[in-house]
Amino acid sequence: MLTRRVIACLDVADGRVVKGTKFVGLEDRGVPQELAARYEAQGADEIVFLDISATPGGHATVLEQVRLTASCLSIPLTLGGGIRSVDDAAQALRAGADKVSVNTAAVDRPELLTELSERFGAQCTVASIDAQRVPPPADVHAAAPRWIVVTRGGRTPTTRDAVEWARECVRRGAGEILLTSVDSDGTRRGYDLDLMRAVSSAVAVPVIASGGAGESAHLAQALEAGADAVLVAGMLHDGTTTVAALKTQLAAHGILVRAVA
Amino acid sequence: MTLAVFDYGAGNLHSLLRALTVDGLTPALETDPRALARADAIVLPGVGAFGAAAQRLAPGRQELLAALRDGVPCLCVCLGMQLLLDRSAEGAGQGLGLIAGHVERLALPRVPHMGWNVVRDVNEPLLETAPLSYAYFAHSFACVPADPAVVTAVTEEHGQRIVAAVRTARTLGVQFHPEKSGPQGVNFVRAFVREAAACV
Repeated sequence: MLTRRVIACLDVADGRVVKGTKFVGLEDRGVPQELAARYEAQGADEIVFLDISATPGGHATVLEQVRLTASCLSIPLTLGGGIRSVDDAAQALRAGADKVSVNTAAVDRPELLTELSERFGAQCTVASIDAQRVPPPADVHAAAPRWIVVTRGGRTPTTRDAVEWARECVRRGAGEILLTSVDSDGTRRGYDLDLMRAVSSAVAVPVIASGGAGESAHLAQALEAGADAVLVAGMLHDGTTTVAALKTQLAAHGILVRAVA
Repeated sequence: MTLAVFDYGAGNLHSLLRALTVDGLTPALETDPRALARADAIVLPGVGAFGAAAQRLAPGRQELLAALRDGVPCLCVCLGMQLLLDRSAEGAGQGLGLIAGHVERLALPRVPHMGWNVVRDVNEPLLETAPLSYAYFAHSFACVPADPAVVTAVTEEHGQRIVAAVRTARTLGVQFHPEKSGPQGVNFVRAFVREAAACV
């Protein structure tokens, strides 16, 4: 049986790994390749490198960092951020990424997912979705939760329903959904489990839960809610825990994880 | 020994090349399938789609098939392994047909079959020399060889058995990505290089 994956995420701005709360308030956590190598050694199942540089046009620099990071790894590496075309993706793969994740670019032009999937395969094409909970109307008590898609690093709301968008991403060729709750991100109070449940039951591709991990119980909850993998960042970068410790705790929860050698 | 890695022009070959660079040997990327067939050892990597890759192989298909039948050591990863069979549901085009059979889309609740899984029922000498506790898979299609005797390892997901390795003579195919399967996976690739060097 497939083991549930623990994926370490590096949010990289201008060559440094940063972590903020709710997409703002960035703090420096180190150099990408050093953190990536550390997390592989701790038993991370994959690494996600998210370029969140505020300055566009730094793509050559980012690719160089991806090259350095990939050269330290013997586990899969995903690059997200700044990929807007098949050519961008080809460059990312040539630099050593195994998958590419697209977010705003796919919302702006959904055909991009099909183009990537046809050229590189669905297993290489990750749709990254930032979802924001819609507050229920005041007069409705038991309304089913809803989320909208937000883009541009959580700054720009769209009119798209997140669950419906996830379905469309898969229809268009995405082989995996990286699902971030903008509300939970950086809070360390747990993933948005309703969101994970809603999306993972709506699509037939693997779903990676992201946003809000603060302790191993949160990871277990997201996996029990239907996620196939969990993304962790802040709690690793600041040394609160290690991937190895998280996996030991997940195993104690009865969740199948890849044992750390 | 010359070691040639086929370049289909799609995807990341870095990790594979790095894993293959061992014992002073430098693998060469080869875009011409005829030249590929002349190498002492051959690697068919696992990136891209079946149709496009089969088309790239087509000009050297006969030469490559002859080389593999002749016992040239060959490691085929993921899509590379699927190309050993006759045809694929993924796309048009002719596989090498070294192994009779076809490639089917996985019928699992979630496709791709993505992540780390256990490789079992191992009857592959190289996996005995260089075992993997877990292997990294990322595929939507899987091999269905006509003769089950070529299957040398399987993996299981959702109660289904998925062919994880095949072998015929010195050609070895693996559905997982050893170059992405951590240090044990890298060892596996290197064990292939050493085995190939020993028989050249």
